[in-house]
Amino acid sequence: MKRTHLSRREFAAIAGTVATAPLRGATAPTAQSVIEKLQTALGGEWPATGVEGIKAGDPSTPIKGIATTAMATMEVLKQAAKANANLVISYEPTFFGRADGPPKAAPAPPAGAAAGAPGRGGRGGGGGFGGLSPDDPVYKGKKDFIEKNSLVVYRLFDHWKSRKEGEMVTGLAEALGWSKGRVKPDDVIYEIPSASYEDVVAQIKKKLNMHGGLRAVGDRKATIRKVMLFPGPMAPELIYKRYTDADLMIAGEVREWENTFFAADIFAAGEKHGLITLGRVASEDPGMRACAAWLKNTIKEVPSQFIAAGDLYWRAV
Amino acid sequence: MKVREVIEAIKQHLSVPFPERSTRDTLKIGDPEMEVKGIATTMMATFDMLKRANAAGLNMIITHEDTWWNDRDDIKDVQATELYKKKLDFINQNKLAIWRNHDTTHAQKVDITVTGTLRSIGVKGGENASMRAGVLPIPETTLGDFASQAKRLSGFREIRCVGDPKAKVSKVLFGPGYATPRFSLDTDVVVGGESQEADGGFDNVEYVADATSLGMNKGLVMLGHVVSEQNGHEDQAKWLQTFIKGIPIQFVPAEEPFWG
Repeated sequence: MKRTHLSRREFAAIAGTVATAPLRGATAPTAQSVIEKLQTALGGEWPATGVEGIKAGDPSTPIKGIATTAMATMEVLKQAAKANANLVISYEPTFFGRADGPPKAAPAPPAGAAAGAPGRGGRGGGGGFGGLSPDDPVYKGKKDFIEKNSLVVYRLFDHWKSRKEGEMVTGLAEALGWSKGRVKPDDVIYEIPSASYEDVVAQIKKKLNMHGGLRAVGDRKATIRKVMLFPGPMAPELIYKRYTDADLMIAGEVREWENTFFAADIFAAGEKHGLITLGRVASEDPGMRACAAWLKNTIKEVPSQFIAAGDLYWRAV
Repeated sequence: MKVREVIEAIKQHLSVPFPERSTRDTLKIGDPEMEVKGIATTMMATFDMLKRANAAGLNMIITHEDTWWNDRDDIKDVQATELYKKKLDFINQNKLAIWRNHDTTHAQKVDITVTGTLRSIGVKGGENASMRAGVLPIPETTLGDFASQAKRLSGFREIRCVGDPKAKVSKVLFGPGYATPRFSLDTDVVVGGESQEADGGFDNVEYVADATSLGMNKGLVMLGHVVSEQNGHEDQAKWLQTFIKGIPIQFVPAEEPFWG
């Protein structure tokens, strides 16, 4: 198909809008169209039942810019609004759990239900259960902010995590300055300049701008030459099967009675294999920085940038 | 007394019937007919803890958490590891017996994992609490000062917090271990052991961060799983001494594993 290209300026002139003013509506793609383009570029199936999808905002919103982040916290949303990045692509949920909002099409719980007995986390879940109330003030405040600022929040998770390019891992390696040390292109092992475990911890804290989230297990005097990177949650099977493959495993999060005490027992047994947990979100930010870089080459109609969710913890002193 | 007899004696002294169908509260390793030289109560039968118990001459371990790094103490995935062989050899060579008492403890009318930790961090009003202690009032303070007090009084080293350290707080909701409560609107601070950080049933970390951004006084204080259920096992040792006589019974804490 042959097509005459119109620049934005020419188009605006034809459309009668002021060419020097920021263009809206006529040329800005909608959230829906940007997301469809992203889905097409990543490929695969996008079932409506998955955790991915628009979590807040109107799909027909004209998009001025894209912000990627590990988690669309209020602070990230504020920065995105300020930066005119009104499509926010978040790796983790926006509304405080996998359900990512109040139960759909369910009657509102009786007043005060959210303030009743706390849910108890089962062995498989997070911090409890019992759905989010649609009247919850944090939920409402966040949703109002998104709507007032014409933001659209989209969760991109499985399709980014399972990319064969493995940007969640390579992004973390890059943020840590270790990209060149990758041992095999399809594995998570990196050779790094030899240093003590304590020194490696100090380097990581500085490079990832950590505040209180990083926790280390193992012999702090051990020499580290080889590391394995497991951003996000690290399954117990990985530590059982692979702990002897490297001097240090760096994960997002693990369960304490599993991987943490496996690592503590490694230390007690006199072996030199450490385990660091960065915090789930802090470990995933670099992979979403890589996502912004990928989007710049994939969706050229609007600018893309990364906004860090960051390390949300501080330590009691 | 034999291992089997110690377990029977405990079952007879519980405030509610022993959960016979529990897959957690079983003898994990060791001979039920072995003579008990001494009992160690602990939060977790870690390798380091086992060494200290053995050095103290205590050959029966009563542990709240798992021994083989998974909740079911299933050895299927770990038995090929060198670490499993080393820990198993140590247990067998020293003829230790390990019995787990997780569900039993949480089901009691007074849950020592809750009362022990509330006492350790200086929160009053939970002295006879069950597993669900509910929201407890504290003298108004800041989140930062509350967390500092918890650290100073308990000696726990690596307490992670979320929220504004200057936030005024006066209500605390505590849950032990992985039973960290989801945030509810009638509390200012949730204190827990461990929970999945994001993409779980309820993500407290993001909730508190966002509540803080919206100007609300909310805080999250995460003690760590093991330390958050640990200190009540000292009470448990004292309780065992009331009906098990003539055998040394000691609290041997699991180590706090973290630094950094």
